[in-house]
Amino acid sequence: MKLIMNRLLFLTLTIGVIGCTKEDFEGPPINNLYGELSIIDSLVITNKNPDFLNNDEVGFYCKFSKSVAWKIEILGLTSNATKEINGFSDALDSNIVVWNGNPSQVPFFMQEDCSIQLSFLDEADTLRDTISILATNSYENGVWFEDFEDGLPADAVNYFNTDGGLMTFNIANDDPLLGTSYFKMGGRVNWDWSLGRLDLKIDLPQVPVTAENFYINLGILSDTVDLHTGQFINILISESSAPFNDNTSNNGADIFDTDEEVYKLKVPIDWNGWQLKSFKYSDFEPLAPNAVGVIFDPNPSNITGIRIACQACPSTEGNPVCPENFGKEVRTDIDHIIFTTNTALLEQ
Amino acid sequence: MRKIGRLFILIILVSMVTIDSFGQSNDKIWFDGLARSYYARDAIGENEQVEDTLSAKNVSNGYNLLDLNTHVNPIEDIEIFAQLRIQNTFGGFFGSGTSVNVRQLRVKGVINKSIRFGLGDLFLKQSRYTLYNDDEELSSFENDMFKPYRDIIHYENFYVDNRWRLQGLQSDFSFEFDRGIRTLEFDLFLTRPRGSNAISTTSYSSDQLLTGGSVISKLTKNLELKSHYINLFEVASSGTSNISVRNPVYLIGLKRLHKHKNHQFESKIQGGFSQRYWLHSELENNVEDSTSNYNEGLFFDFQNNYVKKDSTLQLSVNYRYVDPNFRSAGAQTRRLNFGQELSNTIYPNYTNNFIQRPTSIFDLLSDERIYNQQISSNLMVFNPVYSNALPYGDATPNRNGADLKAKIHPKNKVIQSMTKVGFYRELIGQGTPNKRSFALFKTAIKINMNEGFHWKKELSLSGSYEAEYTSRGGDTVSQVQLLGQQINIALNAEVLPKLFVQLAYKQFNANGNEFLTQRDNYGNINNFINTHYKQKDHLLSAGLMYKLRDDVYANIQFNSWGMSFNDEPELNYNYNRLLFILSVTL
Repeated sequence: MKLIMNRLLFLTLTIGVIGCTKEDFEGPPINNLYGELSIIDSLVITNKNPDFLNNDEVGFYCKFSKSVAWKIEILGLTSNATKEINGFSDALDSNIVVWNGNPSQVPFFMQEDCSIQLSFLDEADTLRDTISILATNSYENGVWFEDFEDGLPADAVNYFNTDGGLMTFNIANDDPLLGTSYFKMGGRVNWDWSLGRLDLKIDLPQVPVTAENFYINLGILSDTVDLHTGQFINILISESSAPFNDNTSNNGADIFDTDEEVYKLKVPIDWNGWQLKSFKYSDFEPLAPNAVGVIFDPNPSNITGIRIACQACPSTEGNPVCPENFGKEVRTDIDHIIFTTNTALLEQ
Repeated sequence: MRKIGRLFILIILVSMVTIDSFGQSNDKIWFDGLARSYYARDAIGENEQVEDTLSAKNVSNGYNLLDLNTHVNPIEDIEIFAQLRIQNTFGGFFGSGTSVNVRQLRVKGVINKSIRFGLGDLFLKQSRYTLYNDDEELSSFENDMFKPYRDIIHYENFYVDNRWRLQGLQSDFSFEFDRGIRTLEFDLFLTRPRGSNAISTTSYSSDQLLTGGSVISKLTKNLELKSHYINLFEVASSGTSNISVRNPVYLIGLKRLHKHKNHQFESKIQGGFSQRYWLHSELENNVEDSTSNYNEGLFFDFQNNYVKKDSTLQLSVNYRYVDPNFRSAGAQTRRLNFGQELSNTIYPNYTNNFIQRPTSIFDLLSDERIYNQQISSNLMVFNPVYSNALPYGDATPNRNGADLKAKIHPKNKVIQSMTKVGFYRELIGQGTPNKRSFALFKTAIKINMNEGFHWKKELSLSGSYEAEYTSRGGDTVSQVQLLGQQINIALNAEVLPKLFVQLAYKQFNANGNEFLTQRDNYGNINNFINTHYKQKDHLLSAGLMYKLRDDVYANIQFNSWGMSFNDEPELNYNYNRLLFILSVTL
């Protein structure tokens, strides 16, 4: 009896134990890491005639045999605008992998045909298709924007060093980023840092985000022909409640004085053509951190003005910070200043 | 060189004196210990295919050391033990290479003649599934030629009787009964394997504690019931991290003995389970404590042993099941550390590209610094060519299988042999539903020719063969086939009284492929690296051993060793070593 009991106990334990064996496996699938890629479901595009002006989206679906680094490239056949979407997965989910009409960088897409290409890292397979854009984004749906289409705002303060050469602080129409107009900022001032600046008054509604989620976007145009290697723009944002420009004799709006709550960001300009740049407001630093009586606590709702200052290091004998730039022209033209919340303009 | 010679003479004199005088004792203080002289000269061997002008053509190092064990008995039931190490590195100038360290410190005693306790350095062991310092790879059947190397590795890393050296408090006591159960024994301990350390100027790791207990009861003359508990955990408040590991393991087992006139059977059955998780505590904004990476697993082990009473035959059959999620830090921590942070001591880099030299069987045999003394809360990295079937000993997770061991020692002692055969299989696959299968075969034979011919002087020939075969079917991408084999041959001839001439050859081959697993900080597999092996390690040794006693000997030997890769001959290497060891256990 004892023997039978012992054997029964052993049998029960053994069956119980083996019954616990799982059918799953540990770790990532080896096939995903080392298997050959094959396309299980071919590329499907959810909307081949998107109207981005009415917030259409283009979704992408595809399924592969393993997880792989993939890349979707969208090319505007007229504008040469491009958009690149990257990921690592074994499928494209059309609810997640979507395109809303923005390029990765300017130029913007136009009403045009676009080629679509899906390729994979270290794999020969490439899938192709085309779509046709019915209408593009307006890029006007920000918290605030200035596109210079109606010239300079009436209360804008435009100051530049009149002793400089070939100074261009004016509205131009020859090469806008969007629309028909942009603001040219440039010229030659060999002896000083500052070439000029444009101050714009801003009256924002209540903005429901913090500085961490508030973006300042603007297009900047330069060229590399005889480029001044020390050129940059300083973006100043003021939260001062002082009158915008009571003192008209100080070559700029009063709200950017060093005893006010002003934040700044320096942007070196060293590229050719237009680029659309986006900056988080939280990346700006106090202009004068030791200003007496000023509490620096950036709040987008309190913004009252923006200054775009064109600057470059001096090169004359009296002040030779970068003598190699003597006689070179500075070019930091701007267009389409737009404030957005939560994401940068091109990521929307 | 003259200085080294003087040091040899000094240590021999000290040893001779200590053998006689340190054996002496009085009632309250007595001494023992170990003295060792060690000198090794390594040189780059012949290799036409690899150019290495960056490494020294030969290097030498050595030391004299004395581990003086002082036992003080202030009263009859208390002993204070201190091991003091005095070490002098050869080449040190006027004491600059000399160090004096306290290597061990312990108080032990008996309270009221019934409760035994130990405080300080402890050597602890429970079962193979809770707390057990399993043997290192390829060490099952070592011959006399390599015993000096193995002795040093074990001694320097405190590997004593498969116990882990820990620091803390331990106590045990027992009861005897004259009716019902026969005995009831208790053993409890609390240790700190790792103290809080500064990781950076602003962050500190937490204290790691290991606590456990055992209750063992002889229910009848032939029936024993045991239960073990062990828990590795961290005290979050002692560091700057608010994440701390918890790893309790529970075991219960039954042992039954059947004694007959000429033989005895022993049956053991044991099972248990583990939990492991990370506790997130003391969170901001009064958020309640939470856990992450929780897993639990069980194990089951059934063992039958047969022993002939004259010890001429021993047989053992063992079946075990260890769940994939079974985690027991005290039993799964490995001796050999193949982590990337460690490099070999001898010629760690080679070739003119200064690449890291792969570890060979000679490093496993001779380099005490690649061995580990620290309990690890995660599964440590292992090299599948040396051990793939059971890299974490019997407690290796994700295994289901059986093994058979046999040991034959005839009365005439002419031929002694041992064999082990094992078959195991994974319970779940890794990276694929297909499961690996493992086959293990080890055999060793020793022929004592002097016993056969009735010679007084020893003459023995020994050999062993170990093989591990791993396979996994399925699609071609995830297939695994790996065969590792080791052959040992050794000759031991006593040419003069106590003077032995020794020859040995060891070769290891590995062929095939395996997917090396990479784990994150919480032990989850996050990657596999498909690795192909075509390597051959070799070690040829010749030497002389003068053996005054088993634990008092002088040994000089020459080793020619290296590694070759069939598909990458540009990475082959060969080295030579001349070694002298004088070891005296006091």
